Amino acid sequence: MSSLMDLSISATQVLVASGSSDDGGNIGLLFLASGFVFYGIVYFMYRNVDKRHKHESETEATLHNQQERDTFVKSLKRLSQREMAGANNRDVRGSLRKFF
Amino acid sequence: MSAVDPNNEATLPSEVGSVPEPVVEPVPEPAADAAPQVINTDGGAKDGLAKCERCGATEIALNVATGMLRCSFCRHEWSSDNAVDAFDLNGDIGKLVGLTVGSGSADILPSTEEVLTFKCSACGAEVVIDTNHGTQARCHWCRNKLSMNQQVPNGAVPDMILPFKVTKEAAVSKISAFVKKRQFFAHPKFKQEFNAENVMGVYLPYMVVDINAHAVLTGQGEHQTRSYTVKNGDKDETYYDADLYDVEREFDVHINDLTVESSSARLDQNASQNTNNIINAIMPFDVENSVRYDSNYLAGFTSERRDSNLDELSPIAHAQAQDVVRHRVNDTLKFYDRGVRWHSEQVDVAGQRWVSAYLPVWLYSYQQQKSGGKSFLHYVAVNARTGETMGSVPINQGKLLLVSGVVQVVGTIAAIVLTVLGI
Repeated sequence: MSSLMDLSISATQVLVASGSSDDGGNIGLLFLASGFVFYGIVYFMYRNVDKRHKHESETEATLHNQQERDTFVKSLKRLSQREMAGANNRDVRGSLRKFF
Repeated sequence: MSAVDPNNEATLPSEVGSVPEPVVEPVPEPAADAAPQVINTDGGAKDGLAKCERCGATEIALNVATGMLRCSFCRHEWSSDNAVDAFDLNGDIGKLVGLTVGSGSADILPSTEEVLTFKCSACGAEVVIDTNHGTQARCHWCRNKLSMNQQVPNGAVPDMILPFKVTKEAAVSKISAFVKKRQFFAHPKFKQEFNAENVMGVYLPYMVVDINAHAVLTGQGEHQTRSYTVKNGDKDETYYDADLYDVEREFDVHINDLTVESSSARLDQNASQNTNNIINAIMPFDVENSVRYDSNYLAGFTSERRDSNLDELSPIAHAQAQDVVRHRVNDTLKFYDRGVRWHSEQVDVAGQRWVSAYLPVWLYSYQQQKSGGKSFLHYVAVNARTGETMGSVPINQGKLLLVSGVVQVVGTIAAIVLTVLGI
């Protein structure tokens, strides 16, 4: 059901993106996903299947003797994505909650 | 940070080509033959009649308002020692070496009985305690209450217990308010049968883990230097320039009170099969306020016995510790506003301390009967220390689908009208 919600959100984002293009007339397509988005919002509000203990941020931890090494490699031009490809510094892998 | 070399610019976008999978170094599990250091947490504990030190009565229970044990006859109040102080659990995590476990966290021996028989020292009768549901029973002859406080290897007596702090009235109020906000699409049978007064106080079993580790994370990070819009035919497209860096972080990390469920039933958190994620979501608890185990804290509540051992829980705790490390180090990565891609995460555990605990939860449960004779158990849970509330309310699917359909029809008409109008 999470993927349903994700799909709804993705669909909305795609439609918003298409609506912002210059050829105009597409902003109305935003409403095409309204029923799916409504279902997803209500389902998550009642069932809370996405909720879990955020152990990664709610557990006390302190760092000591830190060493940082940062070396410039190169400059990158004309990247189409706002975020780094494959960035994983916010990944959570130890969660017990599963949807299916 | 090293200075940017203008002659070292490249135009190869980082998203071209496949992204290498990060190498996650497995956290070494404790060697099977390494004898753990054991903290004896039941020293001086006695089974049998636990009497009020003032009047000798055995009618003792927790006074939730004060967090202390109270004699029901003479109203005398007292409390067990703070477990963190008594067992020196607050010591420097950096000094932890090897595996340290509380004696109440010992492996469960399959041969150990779950139903134990005690001799009542008041009248001599034999009294049975079913450790699956508690560690107390009343003598059916003399009506005295017998307590089991000594640890046996069946997971029934933990190293420490965190007493209830939120009263039943407060829990009922929180559960009622939670459900009240979810009335319109709630299943009609649930609305008809819901009664928050049916909430039960339950002590659930957890493992509380301290970890002393050394971590080395290596990878690459990107810092955005420019964003700009380019006209491509009729479309505007946004592009980004960024500087790519090799990034390495090395540090010692002290993780305090990582808390993991130690009941196999609660570890299963498949949200399509159960609502155990609801109980998981009300963490964390203030485990530093736990006290030495005394069965009298369980009077009036139920409890669930621990049935998982360290070897089953270690992979979960270590995976979560790795998450904690990965997220905590983000404080040192703010320069990399486009993110960091770790290629290797090596977390070596130098020392770890495991202590078992009973933690308090107010639990409202509702068994929803589904078609085909199936049923689904919904929980609304309240953290009985912090009051944090989470729940799952059965949905009237027919009503939700109908209203979603109406919303979809209205949305579709609106989309057509707006498109025709060119908006």
